[in-house]
Amino acid sequence: MSAILTIDNLYKRFPIAGSKMVVQAINGVSLSIEPGETLGLVGESGSGKTTVGRCIVGLLEPSGGSIRFRDTDLALRRQHRRQLAGKIQFVFQEPNESLDPRMKIGETISEPLLPLKLDRETRRRKTADALALVRLDPELLNAYPSELSSGQQQRVGIARAMVTEPELVVLDEPTSALDPTARAEIIDLLRRIQAERNTAYLFISHDLSTVRFISHRVAVMYLGMIVEQGDAETVFNRPQHPYSSGLLSSVMLPHPHLKMESSVSLKGEIPSPINLPKGCFLASRCPFVVDRCRHEMPPQEIVGKRHAVHCFRHADVAATVPASDTFNTFMREAERILGRAVPGGAVPPDHSIQHQLAGKGTST
Amino acid sequence: MTTVVLPPQTGSARTAEPLIEVRNLRVTFPSSNGEPKEVLKGIDLAVQPGEIVGLVGESGAGKTTMARSILGLPPPPGRISAGEVLFEGRQILKLSEPELRGLRGRRLSVVVPNPRAELNPLLTVGRQIASMARIHLNVGSQEAQKMALQILRDVQIPDPERRLNAYPHELSGGMAQRVVIAMALICNPAFVISDDATSGLDVTVQAQILDLLAKLAADQGSAMLFITRDVGITAHFCSRTAVLYSGEIMEMASREDLFLRPAHPYTLMLLAAFSHSPTLRESWSVPDTGVRRQTRAGCQYAQRCPIAQPVCRAERPAFAEIAPGHFARCHFPVRPA
Repeated sequence: MSAILTIDNLYKRFPIAGSKMVVQAINGVSLSIEPGETLGLVGESGSGKTTVGRCIVGLLEPSGGSIRFRDTDLALRRQHRRQLAGKIQFVFQEPNESLDPRMKIGETISEPLLPLKLDRETRRRKTADALALVRLDPELLNAYPSELSSGQQQRVGIARAMVTEPELVVLDEPTSALDPTARAEIIDLLRRIQAERNTAYLFISHDLSTVRFISHRVAVMYLGMIVEQGDAETVFNRPQHPYSSGLLSSVMLPHPHLKMESSVSLKGEIPSPINLPKGCFLASRCPFVVDRCRHEMPPQEIVGKRHAVHCFRHADVAATVPASDTFNTFMREAERILGRAVPGGAVPPDHSIQHQLAGKGTST
Repeated sequence: MTTVVLPPQTGSARTAEPLIEVRNLRVTFPSSNGEPKEVLKGIDLAVQPGEIVGLVGESGAGKTTMARSILGLPPPPGRISAGEVLFEGRQILKLSEPELRGLRGRRLSVVVPNPRAELNPLLTVGRQIASMARIHLNVGSQEAQKMALQILRDVQIPDPERRLNAYPHELSGGMAQRVVIAMALICNPAFVISDDATSGLDVTVQAQILDLLAKLAADQGSAMLFITRDVGITAHFCSRTAVLYSGEIMEMASREDLFLRPAHPYTLMLLAAFSHSPTLRESWSVPDTGVRRQTRAGCQYAQRCPIAQPVCRAERPAFAEIAPGHFARCHFPVRPA
């Protein structure tokens, strides 16, 4: 396997100014992403998702562990900045805050090309191509961000990331600020670009149903640790960590009869990352807790093909609910409900997407 | 009590006297070209006692304008140009400001998004919650403190005694949202408007807050208008849902009808956005031209509707009952197969 990104035992601590206290934001994260793959990174706010993304693109300096891009150690990113230029990009959450209001769209999109030392004509062509890639009208090159809807602004954010033809894009909650229709368009766009260019994505989000549909694999973060990671279908259909199970049980699909089955309903909130609890970080909120969990950090166990979990009682968690494929059921239902009386005749079932979903899992 | 046969909702199976009834509510904003822009274009909505009704729509549909106008507080510079709001038999929009002040927070309350912006950073949480009871229920400060403590327990804030003395900045987002909910509920209001109150929260906290709201609504028998852009929530949490588009309710139905038998092309488009099927989405939307013309005549949705006919651009469709309790403002509602 030739991973494009490999993170090994990453730590990030933020000292609190004026005190001896330290925010332990990331506590030993390991993950890898392959070319053309989407890894969904999910968890509540404060779980450290964004910090991981920021360490990857170099906005933050890790306190420990390593991040490798292909064979390059990113701790040495300054020495390798020529090879790395434009290879890893970032898309921010708030499109209107991440675009410079005084820069024209064209200038914003072409800015990442500047370090690549291209001639003006190539820059112009690449900028136009990026705009076409996200399906924005060429006339918008001379517009300012304030003239655009937030969906269009986020397309600009994506065009700016894609203009250098990166191999990896870190997307930090790219759709949370958007309306449902704009969100769906952005997701389609990202999938299309990935199919065309084989770009790898780290998709950071707390919107689990979007993650389910865009990710090949998913990593569930809690208090700076990845507590479960595996193929999206496997983790969503039969989570083995109580936290994953609890997160999934809170997903509300727009169908009155479809709900994720779970024996876990998470109470309370994520503990403070300043004083990390002893033992398993979830122990204070976990219905499966046993005495051992309060003293001892559960080690990572491999429970299936590329499926790893940190929980002493993962087998019990998995056994409490029947494996169910709620998301695929939901999609079939949506096709049945919305497919009737479609303008211009019946819509053929969308085999492409069903196939894509089915192909991702290990169970099929 | 008034006996009116006007609003379409009474045509449904529901016969009970509604707790709150909005009739033909219109709100206009001044615009640069001199012609006022109508942001709410004649809203009719009734909520029964104990009922949780959802109101979904995308940004700009008029959700917040609606939440505030029901309380007689249209967001400035907007103004209510027509319509009435009947609450417990009283015409809210005709009440004087002091009368309204006695009602808001007491019998009618609103839970706002962005709780931190709503709380006074200089006062403890306990004081802010207790002041609601002191002002509206005329209780002494000791009694008010006791009530504040109880309501903090009800909204499941851990360690409520200590939180009474906390300042808003010491609270997490989920905790601050619970405090705002506690303030909205301490006087046992008969009607609560939740304006996107859970959108900034994590799904786990959101699930807890929804459970809590449902439980409090059930315990106190209060009714709720739950405003959100997340149709997933209304599918599970609201017994009926109204779909707002461009200042008009386009469709309103029980959750079964709305989500299993949607009739308005806009509702179908909205649901298609959640289906993650590009094919379904494309079949229910027309390419966005980027031009939004304000149409006076005709259906507001005609421009984006894939099944629009000439009549849709000429005539505003009526809000018709297409099945018992299921209303749609469309000349060509989609019929169940």
